[in-house]
Amino acid sequence: MTVLKRLGRRRLPIANKMAVPENDDQASKLEFSLDVPFPSARQAAVALGSLSPDREPRRGGVHKRLTLTGSVLNVKWRADEARVLRVSVNSFLDHLSLVLETMHAFSADVCEDPHVVLGHQPPSAT
Amino acid sequence: MTVVIGFEGSANKIGIGIIRDGEVLSNPRRTYITPPGEGFQPSDTARHHRSVILTVLKEALEQAGLKSSDIDCVAYTKGPGMGAPLVTVALVARTVAQLWGKPLVGVNHCIGHIEMGRLITKANNPTVLYVSGGNTQVIAYSERRYRIFGETIDIAVGNCLDRFARVIKISNDPSPGYNIEQMAKKGSQYVELPYTVKGMDVSFSGILSYIEEAANKMLGSRQCTAEDLCFSLQETVFAMLVEITERAMAHCSSQEVLIVGGVGCNLRLQEMMGVMCKERGAKLFATDERFCIDNGAMIAQAGWEMFRSGQVTELEDSWITQRYRTDEVEVTWRD
Repeated sequence: MTVLKRLGRRRLPIANKMAVPENDDQASKLEFSLDVPFPSARQAAVALGSLSPDREPRRGGVHKRLTLTGSVLNVKWRADEARVLRVSVNSFLDHLSLVLETMHAFSADVCEDPHVVLGHQPPSAT
Repeated sequence: MTVVIGFEGSANKIGIGIIRDGEVLSNPRRTYITPPGEGFQPSDTARHHRSVILTVLKEALEQAGLKSSDIDCVAYTKGPGMGAPLVTVALVARTVAQLWGKPLVGVNHCIGHIEMGRLITKANNPTVLYVSGGNTQVIAYSERRYRIFGETIDIAVGNCLDRFARVIKISNDPSPGYNIEQMAKKGSQYVELPYTVKGMDVSFSGILSYIEEAANKMLGSRQCTAEDLCFSLQETVFAMLVEITERAMAHCSSQEVLIVGGVGCNLRLQEMMGVMCKERGAKLFATDERFCIDNGAMIAQAGWEMFRSGQVTELEDSWITQRYRTDEVEVTWRD
């Protein structure tokens, strides 16, 4: 969580909203959405690449979709129950946190390449 | 020259190793050790791995004296293993592969053990006994697959040993199996246990239930010691493993045996297998705890072979899987 906070200093903190849609049979699902702002589109793309491959369990009653909007990673959940939603969101945040830590720890390695500008910018630059 | 970094964390060990053309440049590892009487749970194990993985990665690069630009390929364990720890390690592997602009290779954990054993011992075409906390298989290579000749039909031999250790509260430090091995040396009385070889397969869950009950009864009434039970359990389960290995050798007319996996560093198992090999005029190959027990270099080595034969794993295909049989992998790097 410390990394999330660090990131939050530069950009907007995580925005989230939770809504239970109207109770007809089609849409009786919990929804949750999370926007994670990154300092650059490239970093957001790396996070998407790392966090996307592992699917949610097929019969777990939870769906998760990751997309990119510029330098913001958008995550949307739909779930049958709050219990499974909580587990999925919790573990996603653990995973996100580890990916961010990895980026911070190893971003200096790639700074030589002008095409991949990552992390360690002074807060005023963003 | 091809340099591959390997990430392993399918169970309670997290290891990252770097291999350059058959040479192990670094292979740091950490083990999640639980209190006596307790096993390791997936979420706790994943938390352990998360807390140390970046430190281990830095160590691996520093000890090898390499920069990220020296790495040609990033290999990681795709499976089999515990889901949460596997994901943790895969996340870091994917992230650095993208940051460094290097290809990924997803490695079958069992293949990692086999290739590391072949590299270290130089065994050419051995019958492989793969014994650990999660797997028990007798394997031989034929026609581009590592084929499973025999395996456990329930729990792994290492799981049987670990769970027995929990029942009588043997320490998990450095590992329950190591401590059982040391105690077994002081055992003198053989307590008869079920011997469950079923054709080419073995079964350990019944032995575990039996010895759990025996421990409760016999230790309380001082009919035998904990050391006697450790000794009896080892003698029984290892005899079963030697039997199915010998049968596989006879099937394949093989003159080489390679023991890999965490239980493979048990010297009593190696000794018993050695006696069988001597009788058949065969050669036994085994490694020590550095390479027998899960480590990063073994994933790097299998990844090196796969990468050199043209295999890579695209990012979107880099999902982990808890079940992944040894014979699912096409061996593209052997004749």
